[in-house]
Amino acid sequence: MCKLLSVPLLFGLIACGVAYAAEPGHYDYGHAATVEEIAGWDIDVRPDGMGLPEGSGSVEDGEWLYEEKCAECHGSFGEAIGRYPALAGGEGSLTEDRPHRTVGSYWPYASTLWDYIHRAMPYTQPESLSDDEVYAITAYVLYLNELVEDDFVLNRHTFADVVLPNQGSFVSDNRPDTNNRRCMRNCKNPGTIRITSMVDAPQKTRGDVVAPEHDGAATYRQACALCHDDGIGGAPTIGDSADWLNRSDRSLEMMTENAINGFQGESGIMPPKGGFLGLTNEAVRSAVEYMLEQGQ
Amino acid sequence: MDDKKTNENKDLPIDRRRFLMGSMGLAGGTLASQIGFADDSAFLPPNSPPWTRSLGPGVLTNPYGRPSSFEDHVQRRSVDWLTADRIASISFTPLADLKGIVTPSGLVFERYHAGVPDIDPTKHRLMIHGMVERPIILTMDDLMRFPSTSEIRFLECPANGGMEWRGAQMEGVQFSHGMLACCEWTGVMLSTLLEEVGVDKKASWILAEGADGSHMSRSIPMDKALDDAMIVYAQNGEMLRPEQGYPVRLINPGWEGNTCVKWLRRLEIGDKPWHHREETSKYTDLLADGTSREFTYVQECNSVVTSPSPEKPWQRKGKYWVEGLAWSGNGRVRHVDVSFDGGVNWREARFSSVVLPKSLTRFGVEFDWDGSPQMIQSRAVDETGYVQPTYTQLRAARGTNSVYHKNAIHTWKVNADGSVSNVQIT
Ligand code: HEC
Ligand code: HEC
Repeated sequence: MCKLLSVPLLFGLIACGVAYAAEPGHYDYGHAATVEEIAGWDIDVRPDGMGLPEGSGSVEDGEWLYEEKCAECHGSFGEAIGRYPALAGGEGSLTEDRPHRTVGSYWPYASTLWDYIHRAMPYTQPESLSDDEVYAITAYVLYLNELVEDDFVLNRHTFADVVLPNQGSFVSDNRPDTNNRRCMRNCKNPGTIRITSMVDAPQKTRGDVVAPEHDGAATYRQACALCHDDGIGGAPTIGDSADWLNRSDRSLEMMTENAINGFQGESGIMPPKGGFLGLTNEAVRSAVEYMLEQGQ
Repeated sequence: MDDKKTNENKDLPIDRRRFLMGSMGLAGGTLASQIGFADDSAFLPPNSPPWTRSLGPGVLTNPYGRPSSFEDHVQRRSVDWLTADRIASISFTPLADLKGIVTPSGLVFERYHAGVPDIDPTKHRLMIHGMVERPIILTMDDLMRFPSTSEIRFLECPANGGMEWRGAQMEGVQFSHGMLACCEWTGVMLSTLLEEVGVDKKASWILAEGADGSHMSRSIPMDKALDDAMIVYAQNGEMLRPEQGYPVRLINPGWEGNTCVKWLRRLEIGDKPWHHREETSKYTDLLADGTSREFTYVQECNSVVTSPSPEKPWQRKGKYWVEGLAWSGNGRVRHVDVSFDGGVNWREARFSSVVLPKSLTRFGVEFDWDGSPQMIQSRAVDETGYVQPTYTQLRAARGTNSVYHKNAIHTWKVNADGSVSNVQIT
């Protein structure tokens, strides 16, 4: 079971005891996964449709769901708000100087879209969509990319009709694709060397020291800024006293409670803890305090 | 603080400024600030500094120890314009300040898609199912009962350096090459777990999935899984840091960091790749003709000089130990050559660390600086004979829109005043 590995230079070492299980179940640790346990976690979908659940959703239903749950970051037309990713556009741009990669212009498979929305979106509330909602929103994003008609209904069967335009453009890895030589002397003519781009030497050789993030401001940046910086989805904008004055009838306690438990108000939905359920109540409270300080 | 002082002193005659910068580089921040205008002689021979004439704090002042406060500036940093927020974002390893080849756990670059989940290990499970004889669910205790292995391996985001395909853009080596780290990883060989569940002979792919809000997922070919992939729970001698996947992650040595799924909750065995978002929309390499390479897993041979660098300027003429890091996802680094004239002539550097496969390797070479501008480059060759390419070669093969896998020979221009600029040259 021990073998001698010789490593160049001074090192010779003995690798020992890496035991290989001869038979499945050799160690017999853990427990056999039940069908129900697997079903709860087995969320992946493949291009051949494996993993797609029962259910369906129409472009029509997708439209309002998208508007409610996605548009605040990705834009009503999938055009992107700020630096959030665009979900549509860019057709024919892949060979241009500045290609624009989106579901419509770049993605190879519709299954990827279903899978990703289901596993990761909406960003602040993953796993909150029902299967029908995922079908509808997926259909709508395809519609935004002009890949299906407005009366399209997506389900396990119609899924196979959707072929994304860029599917055939993916090739396998054929690296190494360069062939540099190990030249040691007079490898190029010094006279031909030109600087093609340059970043000036930094003014200071040490970057700023960032304080550890434990305070209200830090929690705010981490968990709340994505909506409250710019008033996304109807969130009161930080520092905008008018926005906060409207709420001056509420106490800090009430607001904190609303921020912890989440609530639906007149302007939109505040998810519990902004969707960051790992935050302690104290952290949310200090973030609310910070937000209110900025409002004055 | 120190920097402010240096900047305030801009009006000083050049020699005095150079002197301040010099002491900063050589002796660290404290001395620099103390040097300033103040007189340090009280600390220096023949006198004794106060710490030599008093007692310090006792044991357990820091039950979990921390670096000296004089090293505060050695931090991960990020570039805010890269991503929409800090939750699906990246921070960079401060390469210029690292020594040897092992990256301290708290300085390993971060990359998240839904922030860092706060996982209670007693409530975490790893499920292995799909085309297997015995689908199982393991607790962390179960996992840690398997025979364990420790290996030193680098971890690199394939987007490392990706901001520079079109030209020099980043101010220092932390940002040009800092999506890179190297740790000792401890865990179970994935092959052991696969033997334990009994993989179907027709199976050829594995889906790895995380327990974070993004449910990060990547398809891994069976060959890699059986070769050297590890399911690790420890890093540099202690349990993984939350940022690095606590309590358990996948490590695919030499492959894209993104495939090394953190907070690992599930491995599904199948017979086709899944083509998920992180292997289609992202982590595919767009070529000039509009086609894209997919499943470009290997991090090819690469190197960079970390001193001098924009963060580690030179101060005065004389001898310097020029050093840097080299690595290859295809095995060991065999040679590193350094050029001081922009690639006309090269000198072979010497390895100043152990040379392990798929690990960072440290190299160095002595140089006598006459005070004239230099164009410093490093070029690594790995054990397959692959020679790190030039920008010209890389762009000829891929264009400038590939984003990932940019491993071109990098150039630092040392200016006459010793400061260092990031440049690209013909
Ligand atoms: C609060 C902002 C926000 C909301 C709301 C949101 N997203 Fe996203 N979305 C993001 C961010 C940020 C990313 C990139 C995440 C990453 O890179 O890991 C993203 C990525 C995506 C992508 C992948 C884009 C690409 O090109 O790779 C898709 C598709 C997507 N979102 C769809 C949706 C859908 C559908 C909804 C509504 C159900 C939604 N998103 C709601 C912020 C948001
Ligand atoms: C996904 C977007 C989103 C995130 C993330 C978010 N909020 Fe909100 N928040 C909202 C919206 C929308 C409202 C307004 C709801 C209304 O009044 O209609 C709101 C309202 C509030 C209010 C006012 C409560 C009241 O009673 O009037 C507070 C306080 C608040 N948020 C705190 C936070 C804190 C603290 C965080 C981070 C931990 C956070 N929010 C994260 C969307 C968000």
